[in-house]
Amino acid sequence: MTIDIPFIITCFFEIVTALPLTLVITVIPLIIGFGIGVVTALMRIYKVRFLHRIADFYVSFLRGTPVVLHVLIIYFALPLLIAKLSDQFGWGIDTASIPILVFVLTAFSLTAGAYMSEIIRSGILSVNQGQVEAAYAVGMSTRQALWRIVLPQAIGGILPNLCNLFIGFLHTSTFAFTVSQMELLGKANVVASVNLKFLEAFIAAALIYWGMTIIAERITAFLEKRVTAYNRGGIA
Amino acid sequence: MIQLQNIRKSYGSHEVLKGIDLTVNKGDVVVILGPSGSGKTTLLRCVNFLERPSDGQVTISGFTVDCKQPGKQNVLKLRRKTAMVFQHYNLFKHKTALENVMEGLVVAQKLPKEEAKQKSLDVLEKVGLSDKIHHYPSQLSGGQQQRVGIARALALSPEVILFDEPTSALDPELVGEVLAVIKKIAREGVTMIVVTHEMGFAREVANHIVFMDGGVIVEEGPPDEIFSNPKEERTKQFVRRITPEWSYVI
Repeated sequence: MTIDIPFIITCFFEIVTALPLTLVITVIPLIIGFGIGVVTALMRIYKVRFLHRIADFYVSFLRGTPVVLHVLIIYFALPLLIAKLSDQFGWGIDTASIPILVFVLTAFSLTAGAYMSEIIRSGILSVNQGQVEAAYAVGMSTRQALWRIVLPQAIGGILPNLCNLFIGFLHTSTFAFTVSQMELLGKANVVASVNLKFLEAFIAAALIYWGMTIIAERITAFLEKRVTAYNRGGIA
Repeated sequence: MIQLQNIRKSYGSHEVLKGIDLTVNKGDVVVILGPSGSGKTTLLRCVNFLERPSDGQVTISGFTVDCKQPGKQNVLKLRRKTAMVFQHYNLFKHKTALENVMEGLVVAQKLPKEEAKQKSLDVLEKVGLSDKIHHYPSQLSGGQQQRVGIARALALSPEVILFDEPTSALDPELVGEVLAVIKKIAREGVTMIVVTHEMGFAREVANHIVFMDGGVIVEEGPPDEIFSNPKEERTKQFVRRITPEWSYVI
């Protein structure tokens, strides 16, 4: 067997058409997950009565089970739940009309939220207690101290972790293929099968993933420089 | 006027403050002295509830908070009558000197941005940092950081500024500039409670000295009396140790 190098380039341009979908199922869950992560991390840090136990369970369970299972469970369970609720309250929703993408995004968002929760919690805990005391001393409420002092500093510290998570999720997004979403790897499979040139198609897909990862690293390095500009020291 | 009544603080079964009563009048500069572990920093942090006292009452210009059930809003209101200068400066490290000073004015006191900025520039000038307003804390020396810390407290125009060992983390060479600034604002009639180990400074600036040991106030009075003519045996011991009777010069 020989490698048809020019065909890799042909594959590349065909497979790259699936990139927007891959980005959607990578980025949107991360954004929603960030929101979930902040809320659950705060619940756990402040030990909000009763809710922190739910948050603990959520993080423990989702981090303790494979992502592909989340996709499958949501894919099978959510339509049932929606149908049941729809019957109960007479919303008249036809679950078959809900795009599968919605289930995929739901599953990935929940997964991302669990991982984000741990990252954000570590970020918040790494902020020096003296910063909070200073915020209180100038008369800020807990909420003001959190939003204006603690979180901005926490974000600076967790950027590398967030980049890691993005890369992880870029690769995790391939699981959407299990519920027939035509993302990068799915597309590569199709291109490979149609042309019977598997190796070329997969190499092309790998190059796209790698390229995206490099771009993500570059962006993170840039952001890190900006966000933590205050930490560089030296008399400017 | 600041009034502390029967302030107690325990960590588990260990009682750190055993019922402290202290009155500070407007314009007073009160220096709290005492050996390590005597509870002086804890007492200071009880005034603005960074430590929650287990019992007692804190009153600042007529507003009283009962330490047994303070309530979030009351604590916030009390804190907004005070300001604090920390041992390790605790400047907001993601904000410039100017932003550090403005933060409390804009966020807590809800001053318009322009007014807050003007006020901040004024106090930064007072502490001699007009040329460093756009520097981040990491770009400033310890002494400069602490002066920003003092500016941040002063800008709030609080009823009292609490100083928690403001020079003990500083290089010996930088202590002078910070003490000079504190002295300057003390002369302007700002009410202060200062915990420090700088005896010369205490003697010069304070108009009232409080000597604490083992969680109680052992003795209090004007500086001359405490340093030259202490009444209690424990105070005598302490003063003897910190003001050497002989010279080491050969």
